[in-house]
Amino acid sequence: MLEIAPMAVAGIDLKRGSQPITGAVYGLPVTLAPAAPLVRWSLRAKDAALLSVALGRTLPDRVGTHHDGIARLGPDEWHGLLPLGTTLPAVSGQPLGMVDVSARSVGFTLEGPGAVAALTRGCPLDVAKFTPGRATRTVFETVEIQIWCLAPDRFHVEVWRSFAPWLWHALAEAIG
Amino acid sequence: MILIHCPYCEEDRPEVEFTYGGEAHIARPLDPGALDDRQWETYLYIRRNPRGAHAERWRHAHGCARFFNAVRDTVTDRFEVTYKTGEPRPAGDTK
Repeated sequence: MLEIAPMAVAGIDLKRGSQPITGAVYGLPVTLAPAAPLVRWSLRAKDAALLSVALGRTLPDRVGTHHDGIARLGPDEWHGLLPLGTTLPAVSGQPLGMVDVSARSVGFTLEGPGAVAALTRGCPLDVAKFTPGRATRTVFETVEIQIWCLAPDRFHVEVWRSFAPWLWHALAEAIG
Repeated sequence: MILIHCPYCEEDRPEVEFTYGGEAHIARPLDPGALDDRQWETYLYIRRNPRGAHAERWRHAHGCARFFNAVRDTVTDRFEVTYKTGEPRPAGDTK
């Protein structure tokens, strides 16, 4: 897998982005930190059962939920966030799309009692109704992101690499 | 902010996640070569543009990324109903 610095974008390496920032929203503390490097999969299939068999994993049934490191983003689209070293099974001749897109996006974590309020500063979703197990694509201000609710006060935010420095500053501003 | 019910996500989502896709239920002619210019122009450009209930395509671009259909009132901007691509326009959607 290609090694790329977490937020090296177009020659700009934002060193500030490598250190966690603790702030507060409405007095509720929240910490913004870069997520550990992960393996990312883009998975497409019309037949979920076929994909499940090919991967040897149970996939989340409902659109907008995640299970075991894989989120169902749409009826025919899944996104995997898995520990480094996880490899895609070699499958051929099947009507499936399974692509390693590890370098495409970077992840941030928002953790603390103020995590929901921090996301709400830029995300139009009713994040307070997001329970652990929910995951969806949405927007933060003008940038497309994915939010994965890992615990009531812990969220993983996925963003495309080129938007990462902007989003980092926007989130830092939101909790500052 | 308008909330739009996405039939694939099965929940109400904020309008900024969606993009507009024009009038719905316009079938591409199966044999374009058999059409004269006027018929092809009609297929490409002529739209109903009604005042009131309008069946149109929307895409949940920053969500599930799927196209679906919606009946929206062009006067009030109210979404009467949304339904999946391929399903017929629901009867009784107009007031």
